Amino acid sequence: MPNQGLKILLTTGVFITAFVGLMWTTMQDGTQYYKHVDEVMVDPDQWVGKRLQVHGFASDISWKPSSLDYRFAIENNGYVVHAEYTGIVPDTFQDESEVVVSGRLEGDVLIVEPDGIMAKCPSKYEAKPAIDASAGTESGDADGAGN
Amino acid sequence: MATIGSYTLLAAFVACAYAIAASVAGARRRSLRLVESGVGAFYTVTALMTLASSIILHAFVTEDYTIRYVDRYSDSVQPLFYKLTSYWGGLDGSIMFWVFLLSVFGAIAVKTNREQQRELIPYVVAVIGAVQLFFLFIMIVHKDPFATYLTETPVDGRGLNPLLQNPYMAIHPPSLYTGFVGMTIPFAFGMAALITGFLDDSWLRAVRRWTMFSWLFLSLGLTLGMIWAYEELGWGGFWGWDPVENAGALPWFTATAFLHSVMVQERRSMLRVWNVTLVILTFFLTIFATFMTRSGVVQSVHAFGEDAQLSMLFIVFMAFILIFSFGWVIYRLPLLRARNELESWASREAAFLLNNWILLFAAFFILFATMFPTISEAFTGQRITVGPPFFNTWMVPIGLVLLLLTGIGPLLAWRRSSVSNLVYQFAWPVGLAVATAVGLAAIGFRVWVSGLCFALCAFVLGTISQEFVRGASVRRGATGTDIVTALVGLVMRSRRRYGGYVVHVGIVLMFLGFAGSGYKLEQQVMMNQGDEVELGRFLVRYERVSETDDGQKQMITGHMTIFKDGQAAGELFPARWFFRKHETEPTTEVAMRRSVSEDLYITLATYDLADQSAAFQITVNPLVNWIWFGFTIMALGTGIALLPESSLAFVSAKVPTGAATTSLLLVSLLLGGMGTNVNAQIAVPNGAELTAGQQRLEAELKGELVCVCGSCSHLPLSTCTCAVADDMRLRLNRQVAMGQDRDGVYQHFIDTYGSQEPIGAPIGMFNQLSWLFPMLVGGACLVGVGFVALRWSRRDSEFPESLASVPADEQDQQLEARLDDELRNLD
Repeated sequence: MPNQGLKILLTTGVFITAFVGLMWTTMQDGTQYYKHVDEVMVDPDQWVGKRLQVHGFASDISWKPSSLDYRFAIENNGYVVHAEYTGIVPDTFQDESEVVVSGRLEGDVLIVEPDGIMAKCPSKYEAKPAIDASAGTESGDADGAGN
Repeated sequence: MATIGSYTLLAAFVACAYAIAASVAGARRRSLRLVESGVGAFYTVTALMTLASSIILHAFVTEDYTIRYVDRYSDSVQPLFYKLTSYWGGLDGSIMFWVFLLSVFGAIAVKTNREQQRELIPYVVAVIGAVQLFFLFIMIVHKDPFATYLTETPVDGRGLNPLLQNPYMAIHPPSLYTGFVGMTIPFAFGMAALITGFLDDSWLRAVRRWTMFSWLFLSLGLTLGMIWAYEELGWGGFWGWDPVENAGALPWFTATAFLHSVMVQERRSMLRVWNVTLVILTFFLTIFATFMTRSGVVQSVHAFGEDAQLSMLFIVFMAFILIFSFGWVIYRLPLLRARNELESWASREAAFLLNNWILLFAAFFILFATMFPTISEAFTGQRITVGPPFFNTWMVPIGLVLLLLTGIGPLLAWRRSSVSNLVYQFAWPVGLAVATAVGLAAIGFRVWVSGLCFALCAFVLGTISQEFVRGASVRRGATGTDIVTALVGLVMRSRRRYGGYVVHVGIVLMFLGFAGSGYKLEQQVMMNQGDEVELGRFLVRYERVSETDDGQKQMITGHMTIFKDGQAAGELFPARWFFRKHETEPTTEVAMRRSVSEDLYITLATYDLADQSAAFQITVNPLVNWIWFGFTIMALGTGIALLPESSLAFVSAKVPTGAATTSLLLVSLLLGGMGTNVNAQIAVPNGAELTAGQQRLEAELKGELVCVCGSCSHLPLSTCTCAVADDMRLRLNRQVAMGQDRDGVYQHFIDTYGSQEPIGAPIGMFNQLSWLFPMLVGGACLVGVGFVALRWSRRDSEFPESLASVPADEQDQQLEARLDDELRNLD
């Protein structure tokens, strides 16, 4: 019985060690810091070179003609980070659209990874905000933010 | 109407509360009258929820925008189909739809098990009622779908988002809900067994089919979601490990584990605690997944709302589920002790156990990785996210091991396998896998993970074909029939076992599709008129970009000419549509050239109408269609496993020699004939006079062009009966009458409708079939459900006496044991 207990203990130990080791090594490559623009730009030096997912609202989108080169800004709470990207952008990527952008900060510019722009897409559970006054006044819990 | 709706929900809440109280009190006092009244109240909830559903559907159809929910998710120009599906288009309605489904499923489950599971029924009613009560409570106090505007009434609704106006997206949520809600029934029976202490295997028999049924719909929902993402979102993939996708997959893993481990309990009386734990976990994960996607606890590219009040309600409910359920499991541990022990690791039960551990690990890994940003923020204050590469690093090997076990399980005997038995069983499949691996290496396959996956697919297919061939040979020897009849008889006699094998074939085909991703080619490119791009075997030439408007939307269409292996292979028309009221949310209309071996997939990104330049994403997705095809086979297998037992055993026992072969021939002839007749039924109203040649061309084009109404799954004009199709047929008739040839008509339709959509794909039949697959599966599922419900509703006395005297499961087990023995004797 003690032998069996020891075997179980050893096997469990091996599994846990392997699991934690694998998890640690795979996480080193696969993780990104998720930050809002203001959190990053309050002290940008701290984030230079780190893999980031920056959350904010797109603005000043410009596009070099006959190319896939984009420059835009991402704003949140009064802070702005400028970004550069080469590639195709999502359908809903426009001025004032809410975006999460993956990339690395080089100097004060965010260099966006390939396919690194995610524009928030509609969900089944989100109602669009009222378009005009004809929408009337809502009764009950006016949770205009959607669900 | 809104007031009636609100009061109906309130009445359902009261009836539900009474059903719970009366059932529990009746069971404790042993009062049949109380129990009966509880069950009656339970049925009343079903009736009330049906009424509430009818009211909201009526409001959508009649455009009653005084109801806030109707205003938010529909508008007057929305086709009727999408008005109806808007019922589950938002949170409030989806909760009501959830309760409606649960009330219907609960009523069927109680009705069909009332005699056999007399002791359990009061608690089954109480548990299902408690879940209903929770969702009804949310609706009444927080998310009333019948809430109205206090002041002005909107003249028109805001409309469902155009991205969601897609047939797959319309069916995907109810499929997923059916799967989620269906998992409540096994949980209710499991809890009733724990509460009453009747923990023999009879509760498992009551829930096995429900689990299978729910699992099928969960799989259907996940697959439809993948197809929608692939065809509608235009990013070239089908699964992105987004929290909303992961949420649906979580209970799928635990339910799959249960479907396997339940066999171990039935055959060996082992894993009793494990099985009841899996049932609880599966149910818990359905609720947790709902919480994840509605509470705002995880960040997603999908815009979830953040609702603290709803989160709190869910957290309390989930805590209650865990404490209540596992409290009873701990209390009943002495009764749940296994009656046998694992005799050998070289046994089928050991393989199932391993498969269960891995499936459970997969579920918890996905849960952990999905919640990781929230967990990391809670512990470190830093929100750290993990992306698809992290998921893939873990899930690819997990998937491959599961695939391997899919092949190994059926080869092992129950209890233990001897060395000679192992050699006999493994020789052919292993040989096939090695030959595949060597062959792939010889022809220079470069992605080793995909190569390994292909070899494992060969291994599993080898094991399954071996099982079928050996089984059919034994049966042919015993019955003297031909091999096809023997095969059909074999499947009919042991539907669960062979249905399961067919499911495994489907899984293998899906893995082939997944493995194809290793060879995906992708290019994002800015093109000017006449530019060409080469990708794999394809050459894509950009011709021009055009702008059209059909009154409902503005359409920007790219015109591309395709060459494959140097030969012209048709044209593709990727487009972007800008719907009225949704101009800021253009939809990507993907253009695809589909085939069995690969899809050429083109999306239009940006464009400049003045200088005619445009940016495209061009992707070659090898083997991707095998995923959808694999699912269809999987659904077929589940259907076989769900088929009624006694009646079909009776039928198959009476089948004369060669009948199956003849029947198959007749069915194929009949199906061929039906296709021609259906096509001839549609006539063009006020059509122009045509010459014989023009009539022939018109008939051909009716079969090639597809309806663009968006609600009929792109049926050919020859079969679609909607008003849009009428208009398109009239347009076609006029074009042909004007002397246009095929290309001219095509061009006219492209110009009119703004993309390749009415043209379908160059490989018409395949494309149509791929659209039809999920619909066929959905239809088959409904027929299957009806069939099963009919079967369950029958009483024993309706069966032939000879069969009624022997329980179906016993027959199954006897047959399987005999077959196993016969196969072993061949050794």
